[in-house]
Amino acid sequence: MAAERLSSIVSQLTPGQKPIDTITQKNPDDVVITLAIRTPLCKAYKGGLKDTPLDGLVFKILEQVVRKSNIDPQMVEDICLGNVSDSKAAYYVRAACLAAGFPNTTAASSVNRFCSSGLKAVQDIANQIITGSIECGVAVGAEHMSTGGDRLTRPFVDDIVHSGTQDAADCLMPMGQTSENVGKDFNITREQQDLYAAESFRRAEAAQKAGWFDDEITPITVKVDGKDVTLTRDEGIRPNTTFEGLNKIRPAFPEFGDRSTGGNSSQVTDGAAAVLLMKRSKALELGQPILAKFVGATVAGLAPRIMGIGPSLAVPKILTKFGLTLDDIDVIELNEAFASMAVYCRDTMKMDYSKMNPRGGAIALGHPLGCTGARQICTGLSECRRRKAKVLLTTMCIGTGMGMAGIFVNEQLD
Amino acid sequence: MLEFRTAGFNPYSVKYSPFFDSRLAVSAGANFGLVGNGRLFILNLTANGIVCEKFFETQDCLFDLTWSEQHENQLLTAGGDGSIKLFDIGVGEFPVAGWQEHNREVFSVHWNLVNKGTFLSSSWDGTVKIWSPERKESITTLPVHSCVYSAQFSPHHPDVVTCVSRDSHLRVFDLRTKPSAQNHLTLAIPIHAPPKVAVPGYGNVSAGPTECLTHDWNKYRDSVLATAGVDGVVRTFDLRVPSGPVNMLTGHEYAVRKISWSPHLSDVLLSASYDMTCRVWTDGSNVDQGGNGAGLGREMGRMDRHTEFAMGVDWCLFGAEGWCSSCAWDERVLVWDVREYMRPA
Repeated sequence: MAAERLSSIVSQLTPGQKPIDTITQKNPDDVVITLAIRTPLCKAYKGGLKDTPLDGLVFKILEQVVRKSNIDPQMVEDICLGNVSDSKAAYYVRAACLAAGFPNTTAASSVNRFCSSGLKAVQDIANQIITGSIECGVAVGAEHMSTGGDRLTRPFVDDIVHSGTQDAADCLMPMGQTSENVGKDFNITREQQDLYAAESFRRAEAAQKAGWFDDEITPITVKVDGKDVTLTRDEGIRPNTTFEGLNKIRPAFPEFGDRSTGGNSSQVTDGAAAVLLMKRSKALELGQPILAKFVGATVAGLAPRIMGIGPSLAVPKILTKFGLTLDDIDVIELNEAFASMAVYCRDTMKMDYSKMNPRGGAIALGHPLGCTGARQICTGLSECRRRKAKVLLTTMCIGTGMGMAGIFVNEQLD
Repeated sequence: MLEFRTAGFNPYSVKYSPFFDSRLAVSAGANFGLVGNGRLFILNLTANGIVCEKFFETQDCLFDLTWSEQHENQLLTAGGDGSIKLFDIGVGEFPVAGWQEHNREVFSVHWNLVNKGTFLSSSWDGTVKIWSPERKESITTLPVHSCVYSAQFSPHHPDVVTCVSRDSHLRVFDLRTKPSAQNHLTLAIPIHAPPKVAVPGYGNVSAGPTECLTHDWNKYRDSVLATAGVDGVVRTFDLRVPSGPVNMLTGHEYAVRKISWSPHLSDVLLSASYDMTCRVWTDGSNVDQGGNGAGLGREMGRMDRHTEFAMGVDWCLFGAEGWCSSCAWDERVLVWDVREYMRPA
């Protein structure tokens, strides 16, 4: 009620202010991003990060945060790690941050909302800053899929299994099956999916060749088979991938359907990304460069059996909250869990494909589960800077039937 | 200039008593009325300045007040919790009567100046309700379907009700007509309509609908009203020619929260605005005093001593023609003479 009275007075003061002006306006209390970096994304099991388990990954990225941001580590009050597979994630982030140069007065925690964990970590830190719990925090998204561990080890208890609720039972459904469900229910053909995948590879390859990823990626040195190696490039991008080549690949989930393959699904990948957040007033006080403003994020739930359509609920929800339309958005990062859901979401929401995943997506780059939410912010903001564009929308589907979306405003426009 | 501080509370409305020439009431809310208690101050103008005779506390902010026309010690308040309370200054600390029918914040209350036995209220729930102090339930509910910021009985006809609302319309209701499908609605005038005669300096801007926050009837000319709102322009309307405003008095830089026609001079009105000024205007209709005719109004003076949004103004019925009072979110109620702030024409 108080919020409604306040917003009615605010609208009396700024009548006719367009929603786009409201979100791009600079206020001292805005939550801003002063650093957004990521490691290269490497193939699980055999790539550059195969021998760097989660604690090592988090340590490496946090080291880079300290080095690249020039922030006094004492200023960082909390670090939130988004991670899906590792139940010990909270231990790892705490120990890693202490080893990476943060004092023991910097706290740490971990969150898990599956594929959106990276964005949820950003939202967690941002919410704490907004409510005044902390003034400065780091959100990390990291996943070591080489270790495994993201599937349940036992079925749900009898109460849940015998509850008679189909949705509850569907939470056990493997992601591949949900992709085939989306393909069948919404008539996304094998051809459409392979065409989409080929385009994702083409865009990623072009971006990598043109050096567009250079201002997102922070090179790290890790041990691979006992030797020190410096990783600088995303490994998932297969050059010269064609539709014909993809179309020959056998279905990956033949027991569920014949449209999703290893070639048109997101790759299994290791990687980490980090975002440094604080209030605008704090950033100005500390002399930190302001990369972008965090406008907001939201989550929407839906039926687990077609979890892939999550963005088609989360995106309208967040746009409505801010009075925006897709026309107001300049760059869209939509996670390509599978080509089936990417095609569905793009076409149902009538997204401008030139704005959506201009540097390719998870099909070409990989989808380290907890990392993706933060990785999309790094890639999206880098693309906004390149295009001199302002508004970034990131979104992803979430296993067990959810979708999340976030809006950011790039402020590096010169 | 006399001053009173409503410490801890931000005033929304100030009204002089129609019975006593030195009594004022101020309705206020804590935390700018967004959340917290409300307070009704009964003030007296004495040789020692403004003294608070009594105050009443309420659960929620009080957005408006009106003095009873029947009883010299009674007044009504419009509450943020949808309640209307009748307070008697001589009786205790609690209201002597209360009515709870509105679903949302009540933004204005007004006592019928002619028949004195009824009053009305308007609310964010999109209705105007007519009440009698003797009845527990409302007599009539007039639907407006948009937040009604201000409603009044006409001072000339006891059955004519006007209101302005968020949808940028001025509505006139005649309670003598049969309810039928129109619910007594006789006229709905779009406030943002272009003026009949182009007003110099305002012709180029095509005004879209803007929220209208306040209105007032002229006390001498029985078909003239003024409205003002979020676009900062005070418009005067003549109900005999309702298609557009007669005057557009521009100058305020932010929304105008309250206007009041002078009870002494037929062409003078006062406004209070979020730009922290209270301004005196003439609508130009008093040709004896040098006015050039209705439609050529101008600002005559401004008082900018308030340091926050000016929320309420009221003229004093007694004494000299220029005495008035204003209240603002700087927690101050000021009593001043308009003539001290007039500029030469």
